[in-house]
This record gives sequence, structure tokens and C-alpha cells, in this order.
Amino acid sequence: MRCVATVAGRTIRVEVRESGGRYLVTLDGEAVEVDVAEAGDHFASVVVGHESHEVGFERRPDGYRVHFATGALDVGLADAEPGVAPVPGARRPGPARICAPMPGRVVRVLTKPGREVLDGEGLVVVEAMKMENELRAPRAGSVVEVPVAEGQTVEAGAVLVVLG
Amino acid sequence: MSAPRSPAPLSPAGSRRRIGTLLVANRGEIAVRVIRACREMGIRTVAVYSDADRAALHVRLADEARPIGAAPSSESYLRIDRVIDAARASGADAVHPGYGFLAENADLARACEEQGIVFVGPRSETIALMGEKTSARREAVAAGVPVVPGSLEPIADPGALGREAERIGFPVMLKAAAGGGGKGLRRVGSAAELPSALARARSEAGSAFGDDRVYLEKALLRPRHVEIQVLADHHGHAVHLFERECSIQRRHQKVIEESPSPFLTPELRRRMGELALALARRVGYVNAGTLEFLVDADRNPWFLEMNTRLQVEHPVTEETTGVDLVQMQVRIARGEPLPLVQDELVQRGHAIECRVYAEDPAAGFLPSPGRILALRAPGGPGIRDDSGVYEGWEVPIHYDPLVSKLVAWAPTREGAIARLRRAVSEYRVLGIRTTLAFFDRALRHPAFVSGDFDTSFVDALLAEPDQGAGPPVDVAVAAAAIRAFRERRTRASAGNGAARSAWWDAGLREAHGVRSGT
Repeated sequence: MRCVATVAGRTIRVEVRESGGRYLVTLDGEAVEVDVAEAGDHFASVVVGHESHEVGFERRPDGYRVHFATGALDVGLADAEPGVAPVPGARRPGPARICAPMPGRVVRVLTKPGREVLDGEGLVVVEAMKMENELRAPRAGSVVEVPVAEGQTVEAGAVLVVLG
Repeated sequence: MSAPRSPAPLSPAGSRRRIGTLLVANRGEIAVRVIRACREMGIRTVAVYSDADRAALHVRLADEARPIGAAPSSESYLRIDRVIDAARASGADAVHPGYGFLAENADLARACEEQGIVFVGPRSETIALMGEKTSARREAVAAGVPVVPGSLEPIADPGALGREAERIGFPVMLKAAAGGGGKGLRRVGSAAELPSALARARSEAGSAFGDDRVYLEKALLRPRHVEIQVLADHHGHAVHLFERECSIQRRHQKVIEESPSPFLTPELRRRMGELALALARRVGYVNAGTLEFLVDADRNPWFLEMNTRLQVEHPVTEETTGVDLVQMQVRIARGEPLPLVQDELVQRGHAIECRVYAEDPAAGFLPSPGRILALRAPGGPGIRDDSGVYEGWEVPIHYDPLVSKLVAWAPTREGAIARLRRAVSEYRVLGIRTTLAFFDRALRHPAFVSGDFDTSFVDALLAEPDQGAGPPVDVAVAAAAIRAFRERRTRASAGNGAARSAWWDAGLREAHGVRSGT
């Protein structure tokens, strides 16, 4: 299997081949031998050379979040197509959408459509788990839309403010 | 100023009260903690739960469980009438309030007193007296305990508040008169910041305590947050169980606590213990309580507030003194005299606690509720995990994001840090983000290791680049790619209909009445 991995801002070409229960993994041309033993549904013992790693896996839309003793890394995986490299962190032009980072309740709306805001200006205060979190403008711009009202309960990812 | 209160009166009718059944008016890890103590004491427990907590750990562990309303705490865990109804219906002799929710609500304690139910805590009048932070300050002054300079009354008028702030001198702390826990607390650097800080503080205080009154205190420079645990019985005996160092805070919420404090000298420890007992005695305190102090750079202690309940961080005291504070609370509530005297109490070794929150340190500590996909708690020598969750549990959005308290004990502070770091590295929580990664950073930071830190530690730490090695990128990519490879293969073989799962086969056998094995 060939694929392209994106991790911590890097893009790595990956090839996986199985032989006798072990795996030969080539990362940007460099080959390592990896032995994987699953340990329950979400964990695996991963031995690289003789280095032992206890690894946890969380499925993500574009790959996995891989947990280690020292923290976790998000690894995006995409099918490798010759000549087409995935562009990490590509910016979509156009309006900026400020979304709820977690489910919660909108306790205050600090702006309204038509208003010019500065970079870092507070737009909406969302309360979750008893703490108020102020969401700020990621850049300067003018407010196009505020599709939420004070008191409204929002899901994670709900658009709170659209910035032109 | 009123006269000192007489030592707590013995409860009537021979002073002993039988507690056969106890209702825990709380949720999460503290409800679990109280249930555990009760089970060890042979006491039946009653859990109460909101709609969001039907399958919560405390419900699963209790002997009896009763629903008390909808998910928002204002419709369940904060409803005194429903807690009392549940206590009466279940025949509970006592109510333990835990911390948070109604723990410092004098009305719950009073309702229990009126219904003849033992409230595991101080008397309702003591809760009211110390719960109003400015009256607590006035009592401290009367007991000869130094208080942080500031107002001794709540101030309603914004103009008067501004003048008081100028008098005390900026920076000042704007604090909720009705409660602590960092709710409704704002540091104000200048007069210009006051109006917006006031609005936010009032709003938070109003929603947290139903009381939006505020007062002012001078913001001390580089203070340490040190608190003294006390226990007092109905017979006029009171002891202190030394200090807890709680200077590692984020947004005025404690995140790491330890005992003993690396900052206290034996003389200061003794003095603070005496100050704490002087105030506890003056107000006729009964049961477990904590007196919070700020200690300035010159090692002067200043009384901050008293928490008339069990503290979140009580385990570090338990680990170093060997006293089970929850069991002691219940014994005191039963009318038993304290089974120990001050001279018998010693601090043994060192304990540190990390509060594991469902928050994402990589995204500004935003709350991270959701389903816990997989959970593996650490074990081994000297490790205690006071958790309120389990694998498969959905952490609700409605309550505090505390998942667990991870505590390490060792003979020395160095040993406790090493043990806690080891435990943090073993702890795996998949599905939600937690503050574990942050603790790995904090515990190895030179300022923490040397004990030379104050309440600004967390902000300073977050401003620095992380020097840690971090997870190995190559291994992560290889492991992820192999997992994808294996998943693809499994899907391919399942797709052609050849694979049928074991449970399906077992179900078929059962449906056809075929017994498997003997």
C-alpha cells in the first residue's frame, strides 16, 4: 500500500508491505521493519527494530490520532497519486467562519452584521462546562453574518460568526 | 463585630446519630469518593442523578439511585427540594454534599436540619457566615488572622467600586462575595479594565451562585496559594492536618496540588495551623473545612477564604497524614469525638495531585466533552486515581470538566514527582482531549522541580516553547499506515461475505436451541 501522510506540518511518502506477519514500512525512501501486535481494540504494541512503543489509535476523518506515552500526534493519510501531492494547511479564500470549538451555550454576542472588527476582537462568548470562553476574530474584517442568538445551545462546529 | 460563637453545641439526644443510609448530593469523582468511603464503613449509599448522568459511574456504584431532573444543574443537582425529596424517599439518615453544587449552600444544610437529616458538614449558620466572603473576612479580623487588604463589605455601586479600587491600589482582584472556585473572579490591572471585568465577574457569579455581589482585594505580587485543612467535632475539639500547596493554577483554577508545601518553613506551618484553628474555633466550626491563605514573597500569610466543605485536593492530605477525611467527616457527623489529637498528626512523605480535565491544552484549554473511546488508568506503587469516568462514558457538557485526580505519594518530593510523571505517561485517554500532556510538561519544568514557583507558573510555562522530545513522528506515521493497511484488508475480507463474527454464530446457535459446550 502506498500513501501520503501529513503529520506535524510535514508530508511523508509511505509504503507498507507485509511479509510473514511483520511489516516493512518505507518513509520517504527509508525502510524500517515494524512488528505490530494488537492489544485490544484501540491499542497496539509497536516494535520498531527492538524499540518498543505502546500506541493508542483514535480514528479521525482523514486518518488517525496516534497516542504515545509522550503525547499524541494527528496523522493524516491520503492515497498516493503520482504527481499530486496533498497540500497541507491549504487556505480556502473567502469569508472566515468562526465555529463553536465545543458544544455549549451562547451566553453573549459581542458583535453584529456590518460591524468592522479588529484582529483578536471578541465576537461571541460560549459557555461550556461552567466556564465562559470568548471566541475572537482570527483576522480583521467585517461581520457578514451572526447566525446565533444569546441563550442558544450550539453543537461543536456550529458557525457562530461569518467574517468577510 | 459579634462575640465569638460558643463551641459547637452537642447535637441533642445523647449526641450520637446513627447513619445507616447516606445520600450523596453530587456527581462525578467526588460522588464516587464518598460512596467508596461509605462502603468501607458499611453504610448504604443513595446516588442522585440528572438525565445526563443515568449511566454515570456514581450511579453504577451506589446501592440505590434516584433521578432528580434534567441535565442542566439548575434543574437537578442544584435543586434542594429534589435532593431532600430523594433523601426522604430513600430513608437516608444523612446527606453528603461533596464539593461544588450545593456543598456550600446554607439552605441545603438548613433543610436537612429541619428534616432531621444529618448534613455531613458544618451547621447551616456557619456555612452562611463563612460562605459570604466578606463576613468571613470580618470574622478572620476578629480572630486575629491577617486578611488580604481590601473591602470588608460587598460593593454594589460601580462608582464606589472604582473609588475603593483606587484606594487599595491597582492591580486588584474582583471577587464574588457568594463563593470561590475561581468563578466570578477577575484580576483588574487598571481603572479602564474595571467596567468590562465587573460585567463578566457579575455574570459568572450570578450564574454560578445565584448572587452577583462582588468585593475587592489587593492583588498580591507573586503569591503562593497555601491552605490549611482542619477537622473539628461536636465536642469542641479541633485539629489541623497541615497544609496543601495549590499555587499551580490556570484561570484561578487549581491544577496541581501538593503536600507538604516546598515553600513553608516549620515555623510558618505551625503559625498557619494556629491561625486556622483560631478562626475555626471562633466560628464554632464543625466537620472538615479548609482555610485558604495567600503567602507573599516575604512568607507572610494572608487569609483569603474558608471553604466549609471537603476540597477537591483532599487526597494529598490523606496520603501524607494517613487520615481518611471522608470517613472522618461521617464520623464527626455521627457525633463521634475526634479520634486523634494534634500531637499524633504528622506529615509523612510527599503527595502531589494532578487534576485531569477534559480540556485540550493544545487549543487553549478549550473544553473537550465527548465519548471516552478507550481508557487506561495507571497503577503501581504510590499511585491513586480518583476517577469519575469509565471507558465508553460520554463526558457531558453540562458540568465541570474534571475527569480524574491522579495522585502520587513517595517518601520525598523528588520521588513523588518521578512517580507522578511515570503515572502520567501510563495514563491513556482516547476519544476526548485531556490535560495529561500539559502535566508531563509542568512536572518536568525546572521551576516546579525546584519548588520555586508561584501562581503565575502556568501562564509563564505556556509562554515558553516546549522543550520536550514529544511523540516520535516516524513511529506515528508507520503505526498509522500499518493500521490503515490492516483495516483495509479486514474490510475487504468482510466485504466478500466470508467472515461472520463469533457473536453472530453464537446468536444463531442460541436461536436454534443448540447448546455450546457442556
